[in-house]
Amino acid sequence: MKKILILLISLTAFHVKAQKTDIAAEDLNGIRAIGSPANPKVKVYWNKYSDHAEIHRISSDLAKAYPDLVKLQSIGKSVEGRDIWLMSITDFKTGEADRKPGFYIDGNIHANELQGTEVALYTAWYLAENFHTVDFIRELLRDKVFYIAPTISPDSREYFIKQANNPNSSRTGRMPMDDDGDGLIDEDLLDDLDGDGNIVMMRRKSPTGRYKVDCDNPQRMVLAKADEPGEYEMLGYEGIDNDGDGRVNEDAVGTYDPNRDWGWNWQPDYIQRGALYYPGMLPETKAVKKFILEHPNIAGAQSYHNYGGMFLRGPGAADDEKYYSRADVQVYDYIGKLGEKMVPGYNYFVIHKDLYTVFGGEIDWLALGKGIFTFSNELMTSYKLFNQKSSEGRFQNTEFEDFDKLLLFGDGYVKWKPFKHPQFGDIEIGGPKKNYIRNHPGFLLMEDSHRNMAFTILHAHQMPKLEVVETRKKDLGGGLTEITATVMNRRIIPTHSAHDVRYKIERPDYISLKGASVLAGMIVENEDFGVTKEQKMQPEKIAVENIPGMGFVKVRWIVKGKTDTASVEVDSAKGGLVSQKLQ
Amino acid sequence: MRIKLLFLGMFAIMTQTLAQSGYSSHSQLSTRLKALPAKSKLASVNSIGKSSGGKDIWAVTLSGGDHSKNKAVLIVAGADGRHPAGTEMAAKLAERLVSLPADSLTGLLQNKTIYIIPGLNPDALEQVSAQLKYERSGNAAARDDDRDGKTDEDPFEDLNGDGLITRLRIEDPTGNYVISKDDARVLVKADAAKGENGRYLLITEGTDNDKDGRFNEDGAGGVNIDKNFTYNYPMFEKEAGEYQASEPETRAFLDFLYKNTNIHTVFHFGLSNNLSEATRFDRANASKRIISGLQEKDAEVTDRVSKMYGKAGITDAPVLPQTPGNLTQTAYYHAGRFSYSTPGWWIPKAKDQKGGAPAKKPEAGNAEAEYLKWADAKGVNSFVPWTRVEHTDFPGKSVEVGGLMPYALNNPPVQFLDSAVIRHQAFFTDYLKAMPRTEIVNTKVESLGNGVSRVSVTVVNKGLLPTYPEIGERVRFVYKVSCKIKLSEGQTLISGKLNNYRGALDAGESEEYSWLISGKGKVTVEGGSPTSGISNLELTLK
Repeated sequence: MKKILILLISLTAFHVKAQKTDIAAEDLNGIRAIGSPANPKVKVYWNKYSDHAEIHRISSDLAKAYPDLVKLQSIGKSVEGRDIWLMSITDFKTGEADRKPGFYIDGNIHANELQGTEVALYTAWYLAENFHTVDFIRELLRDKVFYIAPTISPDSREYFIKQANNPNSSRTGRMPMDDDGDGLIDEDLLDDLDGDGNIVMMRRKSPTGRYKVDCDNPQRMVLAKADEPGEYEMLGYEGIDNDGDGRVNEDAVGTYDPNRDWGWNWQPDYIQRGALYYPGMLPETKAVKKFILEHPNIAGAQSYHNYGGMFLRGPGAADDEKYYSRADVQVYDYIGKLGEKMVPGYNYFVIHKDLYTVFGGEIDWLALGKGIFTFSNELMTSYKLFNQKSSEGRFQNTEFEDFDKLLLFGDGYVKWKPFKHPQFGDIEIGGPKKNYIRNHPGFLLMEDSHRNMAFTILHAHQMPKLEVVETRKKDLGGGLTEITATVMNRRIIPTHSAHDVRYKIERPDYISLKGASVLAGMIVENEDFGVTKEQKMQPEKIAVENIPGMGFVKVRWIVKGKTDTASVEVDSAKGGLVSQKLQ
Repeated sequence: MRIKLLFLGMFAIMTQTLAQSGYSSHSQLSTRLKALPAKSKLASVNSIGKSSGGKDIWAVTLSGGDHSKNKAVLIVAGADGRHPAGTEMAAKLAERLVSLPADSLTGLLQNKTIYIIPGLNPDALEQVSAQLKYERSGNAAARDDDRDGKTDEDPFEDLNGDGLITRLRIEDPTGNYVISKDDARVLVKADAAKGENGRYLLITEGTDNDKDGRFNEDGAGGVNIDKNFTYNYPMFEKEAGEYQASEPETRAFLDFLYKNTNIHTVFHFGLSNNLSEATRFDRANASKRIISGLQEKDAEVTDRVSKMYGKAGITDAPVLPQTPGNLTQTAYYHAGRFSYSTPGWWIPKAKDQKGGAPAKKPEAGNAEAEYLKWADAKGVNSFVPWTRVEHTDFPGKSVEVGGLMPYALNNPPVQFLDSAVIRHQAFFTDYLKAMPRTEIVNTKVESLGNGVSRVSVTVVNKGLLPTYPEIGERVRFVYKVSCKIKLSEGQTLISGKLNNYRGALDAGESEEYSWLISGKGKVTVEGGSPTSGISNLELTLK
């Protein structure tokens, strides 16, 4: 007895020691700020944006530093041949990775919306760097797997970062197109007149102009009052009529929308601007679809966008409202409402009601095409500037101008300056830099990355966790035994959404009795009143349509002969694999 | 002589045993199509993509000159594999066209292109020559049709060993079918209003392999391409696919259609019909956000084309409504082209005998009885007589195998298609003549002195059809009617736009353009649209 005890103690000690070696010394003393690793193996500055090389650097360094936690793969190539990187993050030493409930994260489908990538990278980094120190993360990665694609528009992201753009340009991909039907491709692009990397606005002094300078804020142009003359005319974004057709910047590269290229309620361009010939024309969206279809274990998903501070759920179009049943909405409500507390200034919204109608969007395909509980966070909101909601609309208030003056010391704008334009003559150019307004200023980026990651972890944590909570045997005499098993889902997301059950999107869950000779099998619908439903074919493998969130199913078998080596196995596409020896 | 007769007799017997005899499989079709260019230098054959089973999808191009510069019609068939007759008709049409005397083919194709895609669903087409014949509509994609987690686990079984999948009728108190009064071989749904009580269950030939209570619900045969198109897509329906245009065949077709901006009209030999009877204009549907009715001008044009179809002697076509996710509606509503479909062949209407008693007509809607009446008259044996079999799923019950042979209803023995092909060829010839023709006319160069000239031209549509449909105005990928001027070195534009764009030109409609130009030398004017022809002319400013 003593010996065993000593052995046990030494084993435990060894275990603790082994664990300690994975924790940096700085994480065990006061250097560690709560919530952040003090000396991470992979060093990242979280107050800047990553180009394609840096995305690959962070991802591959994580895979190298944590080979048992992070695996990196390319799921396909972009139009211009860049890899679409995806990290699988889980405790690879426990269980089969692709059979655990999976959570898919992508960012930056709209390439000018940079910070989705940063939140995704931060999440990967945080999970790996905190696995050894935070129990919750260790359990999370034991039970679930994360699939993280930091950017699914790598070409346009690189273009946005490296070339001249404005906050709204480079939303498209880089597939060449003839936008104006003149048979020429991409012949009239934006032009960075002053070569500063930012495409800003053009204005010209004009006796017929309707605009004037805001007297309180010279950076700002406002409409003159109805009965008052203006001083300036606005000439749009920096550019030249390159092809001499009398129009400026009308044929840019692409100008389609990768987030209108998905196979749920897809509509053509004249109904949904930005759509192409059919959903799935782009190599980037094709690669993602292929990955999702090959991973039926994905039970939750997040696609990061900017901006406006929103947790968006579907549907994108009002006529798809019928696919959202009460049971499914309750799951979204739980996560969305908690989110409003976790990320101050963000609102839980429904796309078509609170934002605008979207046909053929990614999250509708995930949620309704594949039955995956999906959110899309619109990162960044002007609330973050002064930690309050402005009482005025965006075009009346001066929050961004004030924030620029008081906290960024003028770094947010290109000041108006004169320019000699080949077609417009003497003009002035100025306006917000491409990384201002929509993308976070550096010092806000890490905080918002963490808060949004926490929201997504809340979502991921609520993916099904199945457990065989009880098995009971009853001797029926004559060599027959009745075995009843209760399988519980410990989280609020069901193995099949109500929508999934209705349209049979994913196969049923199977609860099997292994290692025994099964005579009959049934679902127990009400144990107290003995209501059961027999399954005539393959009674050892009971098919159940769903294991509800925080709910259970009960199944029963009548078994002939021995049962001592029998075990119950639960096999759910989205709920994972669980098995339990008979007690 | 006797031998010859005997041989003929044997042939007759052969054609009578298999209703679908004479249909080409995909590999036979490939051989036929590849032989076309040898017959005419105006013909070429290319693969536009591969099916999910890896077979080439062929497109025949018939064109005088650069095919992409000519306005074009596209004839397509075989999207739904249950319609090999469509494929056969399209292939025969191509064969007849290349066999025309060289000058009449050249005349027909002057400034025009005909694209023919006879077999859009090659995987399904291969089934017509398979050992075991069943009406296969889908491609080779492995689909879990009943979404039970198992793929292709409940196929058909040939219970009577005749190589054909027909049907089973089972005498059962829960059956909903009765023997038809029109034809004792045919079963019809019992009509409670007529005091009828069901007597038979009617299912497809086979067993319930997965014991789920449904028969043959998940066999080989994946996605029906004519259900996989983008317009009004039937999500979650059997054979519709994973999502809109998820299949390589659908994509190959749409890529071909969208990229060939010269395609003005799509004709589809398929299992729907909007050609013999034009779709009516419905203002409410035409103006919805998701447009679901023909635009007003298009309805008028469609009506004219329908009359042209009747004039070619093609009459009595059956009513076959458009179906969700099909090719024809997608080509119109999404791709913005004129789009028509017709099964091409159907049973001719029974003519009343002159003077005699009127022929007894089967009840309307009893397509099988109508078909059998025609088949009997023509000596086409396409019925498997009901014979008893033992069936493990129905122990002790009377189970009989029999019914119409697969494909029979819409696909007669190929020789019956010939007259339909000839009539359709006449219709297409008329249609090609009516196509829009944009020309630049009334060209004027006026000198205003001091080196300034005014150039005026008129772009007119001399054809009998609009340059493109009204719906095309909305579609980004339909290139609009334009009139452009190109200046030479040293010239400057004083007034007018270099590039002018406008909406479709109706038959006979025109628009005048003019420019003020300073400088001397040549200018080039270009006008028209890809679907109506683009012409160029060079002018000299003095």
